[in-house]
Amino acid sequence: MVRTNDLEAHFGFECRACENGHCNKASLETILGEREGLEEFYEAFKEHIRECKRMTYGQYMFIIDREVLPEAVLWWHNHPKFKETHLSTAVGTDERPLDGKFVYMPFLSVQVEPLNMDRNYWMFLKAYMPADDPSFPSVAARLPAALWIEREVKDLLGFRPVDHPDPRRLILPEDWPEGVYPLRKDMDYKHSPVTEPKTEYRETPEGTSLVPMGPVHAGVEEPAHFRLFVKGEEIIDVDYRGFYSHRGIEKTGEGRLTYNQVLFLAERICGICGYQHSVSYAMAVERLADVEIPDRARYIRTLMLELERIHNHLLWVGIAAHLVGYDTGFMHAWRIREPVMWLVERLTGNRKQYGMNIVGGVRRDLLDYRKEEVLNVVKRIREETKTFLDIALNTNTFIKRAEGVGILPYKVAKAYSVLGPTARASGRRIDARLDQATKTAMAYNEVDFKVPVYKEGDVLARVLVRMDELFESIWIVEQLIDGMPGGDIFTPIGKLPEYEEALGFTEAHRGEVVHYVMTGEKNKVYRWKVRAPTYNNLPAIPEMLKGYHVADAPLIIASIDPCYSCTERVQFVDVKTGRVRILTEAEFNELSIENRGVF
Amino acid sequence: MEIDAVKLGFSLVGIILLLFLPPYLDGIARRVRARLQYRRGPPLSQTWYDLQKLFALPSVRPTASTLFTWAPYLALASSISAALLLPYGNVIPVNFGFNLVVFFYVVVMVSVFLILAGLSVQNAFSHIGSSREMQIVLTVEPLIAILYGVLAYNAGSLSISEIVRNLHPTPSVLLTYAILAYALYVESGFVPFDVAEAEQEVIGGPLGEYSGRLLGVFYYAIYIKRFALLWFFVSLLTLPWLGPIDTAVKAALVLALQFLLTIAFYPIIAALEATNARLRVDHIVKMNVRMFFAGLVVLAMAFMGW
Repeated sequence: MVRTNDLEAHFGFECRACENGHCNKASLETILGEREGLEEFYEAFKEHIRECKRMTYGQYMFIIDREVLPEAVLWWHNHPKFKETHLSTAVGTDERPLDGKFVYMPFLSVQVEPLNMDRNYWMFLKAYMPADDPSFPSVAARLPAALWIEREVKDLLGFRPVDHPDPRRLILPEDWPEGVYPLRKDMDYKHSPVTEPKTEYRETPEGTSLVPMGPVHAGVEEPAHFRLFVKGEEIIDVDYRGFYSHRGIEKTGEGRLTYNQVLFLAERICGICGYQHSVSYAMAVERLADVEIPDRARYIRTLMLELERIHNHLLWVGIAAHLVGYDTGFMHAWRIREPVMWLVERLTGNRKQYGMNIVGGVRRDLLDYRKEEVLNVVKRIREETKTFLDIALNTNTFIKRAEGVGILPYKVAKAYSVLGPTARASGRRIDARLDQATKTAMAYNEVDFKVPVYKEGDVLARVLVRMDELFESIWIVEQLIDGMPGGDIFTPIGKLPEYEEALGFTEAHRGEVVHYVMTGEKNKVYRWKVRAPTYNNLPAIPEMLKGYHVADAPLIIASIDPCYSCTERVQFVDVKTGRVRILTEAEFNELSIENRGVF
Repeated sequence: MEIDAVKLGFSLVGIILLLFLPPYLDGIARRVRARLQYRRGPPLSQTWYDLQKLFALPSVRPTASTLFTWAPYLALASSISAALLLPYGNVIPVNFGFNLVVFFYVVVMVSVFLILAGLSVQNAFSHIGSSREMQIVLTVEPLIAILYGVLAYNAGSLSISEIVRNLHPTPSVLLTYAILAYALYVESGFVPFDVAEAEQEVIGGPLGEYSGRLLGVFYYAIYIKRFALLWFFVSLLTLPWLGPIDTAVKAALVLALQFLLTIAFYPIIAALEATNARLRVDHIVKMNVRMFFAGLVVLAMAFMGW
């Protein structure tokens, strides 16, 4: 066993393992012994490891040479024992103001034992790159999950993934000038260059014709552009161009807002899973501040998260029914969903974007006499959803459209690091609620529930997974109300440590949401990276579409429950002036009167 | 001369019915669907209001093709002529021998103009919609032809007026009714067979490039076609079994019965629409082919005198 001292002698690094109050002077041995697999990795990559540290509970970081990044990522991803390990995402950081270097850092969720939050951990593989040559060897050719991640850092930070199979623009539009990188610290957040419009689509393969689904299409509710290459009605290949609603939220959050303001921005990333984002972010900051939040706050958060999951799953099943022309299913699913919205309005004051969360706890207490109301609502939802499913799953035409369509095999799901219900419908046993240590911010460790997994991998399996989850969520809500502890709902956060990193995560109804936070000076955020589950699920869509009908495309796309605005972390900007402007209602009316007969 | 006045009167009632009733029938369907979906639903005349609005708006023409402009009007003409070939009471406004064959053709022409309209523009979705419509027409029309054949063989005539007078109740005719109900439902393009105009998949298909007046005319043609098919079915169902219709009063009663049955069938159709998801075109083709072979069996039964 190599000791920290030996390493220091060899590489001249110091182990900053545990400055977070849990154990101040953890030796390398302690760290490596804490979780399974760490030592094995250390032995395999000893020559290339510069430093190792524990960021916080269950999150480990190895600083490695950039040359071995692909091997290290694949070592973890393809580890024979940790089958459900997935590449979560990667963070690119401009650390030039600090140490004159760029940082590229993929991280994985290592699953020693599925659904055991005390044995699994997050593995961060940090690589420094010199400021004059920010390049790193690409892993995308061997691991498709890295395709988008590497294109993203190329767009936003100007890193160069060497040997990337598809180095087109991903997030920035093709007409964005070369050499302007929004997330570099020397670029002002207001800078918005505009040049001539340009596009960069893939060639239509020979013998096929093009069906452009998007940028605006009735079957895809947000701007997204699927270019289907078809023969007759069969889909041969697909090209995706999205990120039409990139808002630059990360840039807005970094350096300008305090850590509590970012929380409210985080909640507005998504229209329907906002609370998941806000809890993830709060969790990351709480980990950094190293505070324990009160039990009651954890319970209330979990309650809200599960209520959100219930209404989102109902929303989704409604949309799925609508897309196959089964509007009765759509209307009834949304009718059943509505009482949940009324309930959360009672509990928080808002139907959506609850504004309920704050770093260190929650802002509103759950009044005791509301408990009964919560139980009544979920009870009714359970009964009504059962009836609904009875009818919908016995509608022959609906089953015919969903069964055996859009199959995503386990291997492909793993290669793309697909998350959430989409992954579970393909047989992957992952669920961030139990996989990773959510217990610092949520109460999932104190409730009992099952994680439904299906093996079929088709659209029907995704419907069933979500519906099973919905019933589990109702069961969780009942347990939470039953076991709701008393006490405070908020712990004040003191000063945040400077330039420390941590990850916050939740399992949204679409999959795992992660928020990576690196603190800056004066309680500000230096780097904030958001990754919504759709970011991992969307690249797998072309794989699901191939070989099926154009008619199936909307349903297959919807079956991952895509949320483009989450993925694109997207402010509406006037293209001509680059300024933000919103029409008032009076102006809007005036415009429509002026242009009468034109539209 | 008195006979002529009665005939004129019934023809006039028929024309009024075929022009004004179809949008109201759609209104009924919308209302029924809404109720099944826990909604209030629009007023019964909503489809009329929609059509009025469309008729008042100019159309955008994305192509120089005159076919694009003419197709809706030709489709409308076809569906009106189809409806004119049907019995209202005991009067058929346009009556001649072989008019069952003409009825078959003019109904198909509505689909044909829809297909041509879809192919006259540069739009992948229109083309997909047209090709779907074509697949449906090509598989369902042989089935309908066979069923018409059974009816014509049974009644010994190709004229609709003769058929409704001379149909004998045999097992093959009963089976023909059942299969015909399916075939005409498919031909009418109700859910789950509305794949050609599926909003979520092909954004309206052949109608995707249409707007304003031309779109309104197309919709109107489709409503009248649906009405004609249903009225034809209802006539086949009732007229042969009511004995000779020789007085004007009895004819009026028969017309009232046809009218009521047509209205009564629409909620059933709406309920079927509301409780089904849209099928895929390959499912529909498969079903139609199966039904075609069932139709052949029925035809064989008819020849054997069953």
